[in-house]
Amino acid sequence: MIYPIEINNLHYKYEKDAREILNGANLKVAKGETVAIVGLSGSGKSTLIYNICGIIPHIYRGEAKGQVKIWGKDILDMKLSEISTKVGIVFQDPDTQLFSPTVEDEIAFGPENLCIAREQIGLRIKKVLETVNMEEYRLENPGNLSGGQKQLIAIASVLAMETEILLFDEILSQVDKEGRIKIREVIKGLKEEGKTIILIEHDLNNLQIADRVLQLKDGKLEEFKAGDIIGLHRT
Amino acid sequence: MNIDPRTKLIIVLCLSTLAIFIKDILFLSGILLITIMISLFFKVNILQVLREIKRLLYVLLAIAVIQSVFSTDGQVLIGLGKLTILTTVGVQKGLEFIIRIMIIISSATIITTSNSREIIQGLVQWRLPYEVAFMVSIGIRFLPILREEIKDSIVAIQLRGIEIKKTPLKKKLYIYSYLFTPILVSTIIKAQKLSMSVEMRGFRAYERRTSYMVLRMSYVDYLIIFFSFLCATTLAHLYIDQSVLTLSSLKRMSYFVYNSIRLRKFL
Ligand SMILES: Nc1ncnc2c1ncn2[C@@H]1O[C@H](COP(=O)(O)OP(=O)(O)O)[C@@H](O)[C@H]1O
Ligand SMILES: [Mg+2]
Repeated sequence: MIYPIEINNLHYKYEKDAREILNGANLKVAKGETVAIVGLSGSGKSTLIYNICGIIPHIYRGEAKGQVKIWGKDILDMKLSEISTKVGIVFQDPDTQLFSPTVEDEIAFGPENLCIAREQIGLRIKKVLETVNMEEYRLENPGNLSGGQKQLIAIASVLAMETEILLFDEILSQVDKEGRIKIREVIKGLKEEGKTIILIEHDLNNLQIADRVLQLKDGKLEEFKAGDIIGLHRT
Repeated sequence: MNIDPRTKLIIVLCLSTLAIFIKDILFLSGILLITIMISLFFKVNILQVLREIKRLLYVLLAIAVIQSVFSTDGQVLIGLGKLTILTTVGVQKGLEFIIRIMIIISSATIITTSNSREIIQGLVQWRLPYEVAFMVSIGIRFLPILREEIKDSIVAIQLRGIEIKKTPLKKKLYIYSYLFTPILVSTIIKAQKLSMSVEMRGFRAYERRTSYMVLRMSYVDYLIIFFSFLCATTLAHLYIDQSVLTLSSLKRMSYFVYNSIRLRKFL
């Protein structure tokens, strides 16, 4: 069977770092599944999803062993630009993901890179702004929005790439309560749309959306048991 | 009315070329006046621009003094015994410099009335590679991030009970050098994060890319461009004619002096 995401015995060590951050991690995510990954801060959750979206090894070097496959194809055999048509990633910090003077330009950036026709881009902008419920901010400067709104625009910009797989790396952690509620709704909607989602989470309240919760511990992924909540917090 | 960023670029190029190439203080003042009027037309906050330039007054003073000390022309305005400190030529050179800078800065702010995406698009439609234009705009976007970073670090220092304003210069320099590395590191980390999200959105996926934004020049743009060139060349001509005039009159004058000296000898 071909999985959207398949990781086999992944080991990873950053350059000039003695520790193996990932130490034999395995993961299979089925189509349309929402998997949450929890783990202590610094346990390597971000490192793991950088391996899925190709940031490792295409941007960060380091020592990687094992295999990461997207729809059955090894990410080593794909260029970053090819991966970017299959995997979308939203990061923790809303400020370092936005760089355009208007929301519209921000969302158009990805599809423009993929040579999508102009009218199509227009349709995509309209659609993703509806998805994140930010239609009236189309011509605003993202720099003037609140943290939660910025994060919604970051999500919209990634959605405009129309990737089947979505990775969310602690996207709620720098957002106020109101923003969290809105973003959670958006994630729920995406799940219902049938997207394959990996949700990195620090906050146990946000796990209800997930079909399955895994824990990253000692560089390996294991089933998360409710007892293992040391270091995780409720808000 | 929406003026094309390319039109603004042409205006700025005309004004700053004139500013660099003209050396006559009256001409320069005239061009400054024109620049200010154009900026006002584009609704630039000219007062703020002038306020920023105010900081350059020290440079004016420095240039005036340096020019006075090292050139022998002009009348001495301030002197200490045999040492000249300020001469008329020095003051003139300093003023010329400051006016030139004022023209360049206030004309450059005309471009900022377009947003960065529009400017990139303008340059791209002028066949500048997209990557280059994009890098420049990202670089500009990073300036406020850097400023914020510096501000945060200084606040952090002050929270530890150090009053930057009251510390002596030597210690102040020490504190700043101490801040340098963390500011650099966190800025690099931010740049790295930004580049990750740029890459993950397909940057440089293909040789070409499409553009949602398309700029079209209107007849108003063409009209403005035409007038800018016309005014610029006219001004340049006037200036050249005038300097040729003064040059020939100088020649005539020196000839007259020479002749009168000869005449006196003869008598
Ligand atoms: N670029 C890097 N170079 C070296 N070490 C890194 C780098 N990025 C992260 N690390 C280290 O890898 C470990 C895991 O980081 P990360 O994957 O960000 O953890 P998490 O996302 O679970 O908080 C941390 O100890 C961190 O210090
Ligand atoms: Mg992380």
